Amino acid sequence: MRVAVVLFPGMNCESESVRALESVGLAAEIVRANEPDRLDAFDGFLLPGGFSYEDRIRAGVVAAHLPVMERIVRAAEAGRPVAGICNGAQVLLETGLVPGLHPGRVEMALALNDSGQRVGYYCDWRWLVGDLFPEPMPLPFAHAEGRFVTRDPAVERAIGDRGLIAARYCEPNGRITRAWPVNPNGAFDNAAAIRNPEGNVLAIMPHPERANWAFQVPVAVEGEWREAKRSGFRDAPGPGRRFFTAFADLLRRAAA
Amino acid sequence: MPADGTKAGAEVRRLAFTDGSDDLIRRQVAENGLSFTREEARDLARLLGRDPTLLEAHLFDTMWSEHCSYKSSKPVLKKYLPTTGRFVVLGPVEDAGVVSIGTHDGVEWSVAIGHESHNHPSQVVPYEGAATGIGGIVRDVYCMGADVFCTLDSLRFGDLDGPNAERCREIMLGVVEGIAGYGNPLGIPNLGGETVFHPGYDDNCLVNVICAGVMRTDRLVHSAVPAEARNEPYDLVLVGKGTDSSGFGGAAMASRILDAEEDNRSAVQVPDPFLKRVLRNATLEVLEVAAERGIAVGFKDLGAGGIACLSSEIAHSGGVGVELDLERVHLQETGLPPEIIACAETQERFGWAVPRWFAPEVVRIYNEVHELPKVSRGAAATVIGRFLPEEDVMRVRWHGEIVAEARTEDITAGVVAQRFAADPRERVREDVSWSGDTQKLRTLALEVLASPNIASKRELYSHYDQEVRGETYFRPGEADAGVSLPVPGAPIGVALAADGNPRYGELDAWCGGATAIAESVRNVVCVGARPRALTDCLNFGNPEKPEVYRDFVDAVRGLSDAARGIGTLELDEPEALPFVSGNVSLYNESSTGRAVPPSPIVCCLGVLPDASRATSLALAAAGDRIVLVGERRRELGGSEVSWLLGQRGRGDVPRPDFALERRCGRAVLALAEAGVTRAAHDVSAGGLFVTLAEMMLGGWDRARLGLRIDLSALPGESDFEKLFSETGAYVLELPPGDLPAVLADVPHVVIGEVTADPVLRVHGTDVLEFRAEELERAHGASFARRME
Repeated sequence: MRVAVVLFPGMNCESESVRALESVGLAAEIVRANEPDRLDAFDGFLLPGGFSYEDRIRAGVVAAHLPVMERIVRAAEAGRPVAGICNGAQVLLETGLVPGLHPGRVEMALALNDSGQRVGYYCDWRWLVGDLFPEPMPLPFAHAEGRFVTRDPAVERAIGDRGLIAARYCEPNGRITRAWPVNPNGAFDNAAAIRNPEGNVLAIMPHPERANWAFQVPVAVEGEWREAKRSGFRDAPGPGRRFFTAFADLLRRAAA
Repeated sequence: MPADGTKAGAEVRRLAFTDGSDDLIRRQVAENGLSFTREEARDLARLLGRDPTLLEAHLFDTMWSEHCSYKSSKPVLKKYLPTTGRFVVLGPVEDAGVVSIGTHDGVEWSVAIGHESHNHPSQVVPYEGAATGIGGIVRDVYCMGADVFCTLDSLRFGDLDGPNAERCREIMLGVVEGIAGYGNPLGIPNLGGETVFHPGYDDNCLVNVICAGVMRTDRLVHSAVPAEARNEPYDLVLVGKGTDSSGFGGAAMASRILDAEEDNRSAVQVPDPFLKRVLRNATLEVLEVAAERGIAVGFKDLGAGGIACLSSEIAHSGGVGVELDLERVHLQETGLPPEIIACAETQERFGWAVPRWFAPEVVRIYNEVHELPKVSRGAAATVIGRFLPEEDVMRVRWHGEIVAEARTEDITAGVVAQRFAADPRERVREDVSWSGDTQKLRTLALEVLASPNIASKRELYSHYDQEVRGETYFRPGEADAGVSLPVPGAPIGVALAADGNPRYGELDAWCGGATAIAESVRNVVCVGARPRALTDCLNFGNPEKPEVYRDFVDAVRGLSDAARGIGTLELDEPEALPFVSGNVSLYNESSTGRAVPPSPIVCCLGVLPDASRATSLALAAAGDRIVLVGERRRELGGSEVSWLLGQRGRGDVPRPDFALERRCGRAVLALAEAGVTRAAHDVSAGGLFVTLAEMMLGGWDRARLGLRIDLSALPGESDFEKLFSETGAYVLELPPGDLPAVLADVPHVVIGEVTADPVLRVHGTDVLEFRAEELERAHGASFARRME
């Protein structure tokens, strides 16, 4: 199974994303946005985090309008798995792939963080729960524009009704509290990750590749991670591993 | 001769420095924005044997500035600082130092590390100043062939509660945003540093940046034209942003006292981290291609003095000459005169010395593979000159005409300025006094914890990406040093800690230097890493003033004594801890003549062969024992508590005992590497009370465990002294049972144990109790509100 980590100028999480994909047995390669002809050879696509086109206009918007994204859209429509992390998630929303209720239409945006307590760029850890993380898991996030919003109440309802929110910000025990500090950016319904109705395209704002190993987890995080950090240096899996195993499952299902 | 003093010889402007009157020289220097003294102007004419061209004048003006030539500091640094050692791959001779960190899968890896200041620009335009501070130091590390994996910042701001509070706060917020605005898009995690406030920085903030990169040792690239250039043609390829007029005269600005702000703004460069990220990707590709095919290359960043400085230095280091065709330089704006093209300090540029046959491939990788011109208007890679194996000059042509020509030796040799030190400082011999009751002592303790220098900076660090690259092991505040695992697949950890206490420095500059080293070593040892190298940035006022120069020399002596006295701990035979990189920033004064406090700032680089042994400062398990390792003395001079009590200036400054520091450091390191230590934190600013509270708060200001502490076994006259004296030491959390044998060789006291209930109980003459919420509020929330 081969995954292309699609690199637009200004993205900066490509190497650790490759390593995380490899940790679940996938072959991963960085493919620059100016080599679209290479893309057809891959089974799935990951758009990594960073600052593509220095977040001009709005994060993700410039990359979303480049011809290379048409290939990704076509591949997604053909059922191939596509994931976007942070800036990659922003690009997927700006192309209309997520939530993808009406393919081709941009139905949501990732707006400037506004939790009521804090606006703008913010780097910290939060717990996530949902079908992507059935057990609550701590993950780091680092973004200025991470607030899932839509102007259309019908879109919001449909996302809820069809269960498209794959992960929500929660307390360590899994309880979903709407207010700060649990919800760090003011996203509607505590949304941290949203997928399309077909389930093959996923946009996540926190960074699972920065929690793919136990050593990456802060000592202050509750749970078994502190001990795991001291046990097997680089090999002990971390809370973000679940994201990549889920992505690998998706690839295998799509190929079957 | 025209009235402006230039000679109309053909089209090339020359300055009449040979025969001009003193008055004419002064006028020419002023009118052209130069900084030469009269003597230096005449020296230049004498050196060249003729009047300099305008371009030559600007080039030498930069090269002879304090910033580039270290003319006041070089003799002192050379005399005192140790720079060699077992683990040093490259000392402080190029843009960054290089230190071996170990072998993995048969390959030896190294860290390239640099330490720079960007003080004046940050005071004038905080966002751009701080951002280009990051931009500059990362180039220094990239150009060694390394991939940057972290930065740290040592920030010094004015008094947030003083008469200039609002301006100081604005500068702080601007600097933090600038660091974030550059480091985050570039994809470099911030691993810490420190932030200190002092009224002495009201008119002159300090922004010191430390940057580390990782590489295979055999991939080290030098800032020199390779020896192969004697046998085959080599070209100079300029890559990066189109040259503009920004930063013209920046080095000169950094080398004089700040006056009216408006005058300096054009000397600050414009940052572009987006372009830098793409440049980094393309550069790593060129390095890879060159290494795989065994092509000898030279690589250097552009900083002060721009293209002219780059060309002369890279040629001189390679023992060859260089000839430039200035009109080939890709520009950001049209109509620039040759002296600006040659000397402007436009950001985001590097220069390559590559074989002529390989140059087109280099150009293709930047311009076509990574599409530099599409990423940023005016950016490109261009061949702008060639190296001259038979000559030792730099010759600059502008549409064929020679606009500068000088021996590279003369350009790069620099100058030395004689400075004089005043007599030793007189000290007040009055001690810090305290006479409050238990309740007052309790209140005082919480005030110490909440003071801007002590309180948690978690809010500040949350503006920085701390985890990009996925290698971060300890984030800022989690442990005494930031720790990263930068070698792919290897368990090798790199620990970095920056320190420097201006309150000690202003009372005793020697102690300021010595304690900075002792503390940074202790910080690295606390996480379980072996201290291997040091970097320093020496921030002082005007060295022409004897008092400032005396403090400078004293501080450097303090650094030297500590580095030699403590030594490289992992070696049984004492060997001085080497300084592998550094920077000197002088003229940190306001126009009113107020110099910053003597501010030697130090970073210690440590290595963990197995990072899973790393220890954080967070308490781990109830029932564990708390052991203090080291001595306690009444050292309240420059302490947090002395300032809170309005008694600044009184008391003895902490004076490290180097032999003791060495013994204690080795013992603590042995415990960490044996996997015994559960948590470790040093005693420094704020004293033992702060150390204990921070261990309980665990880095995230959430206490889940508590401490019961008995002060009676500690030496000292009073609980006040025991809690707040700032004598350096270690506090360790060790499992219950017999104490490890290694402690028998060092002074140590069991001072208490970890409790399940999150309360800090201190039993002294009386009992002090602090609930978790009180500590969390004091330490966690007090600084955060200042950033809103």
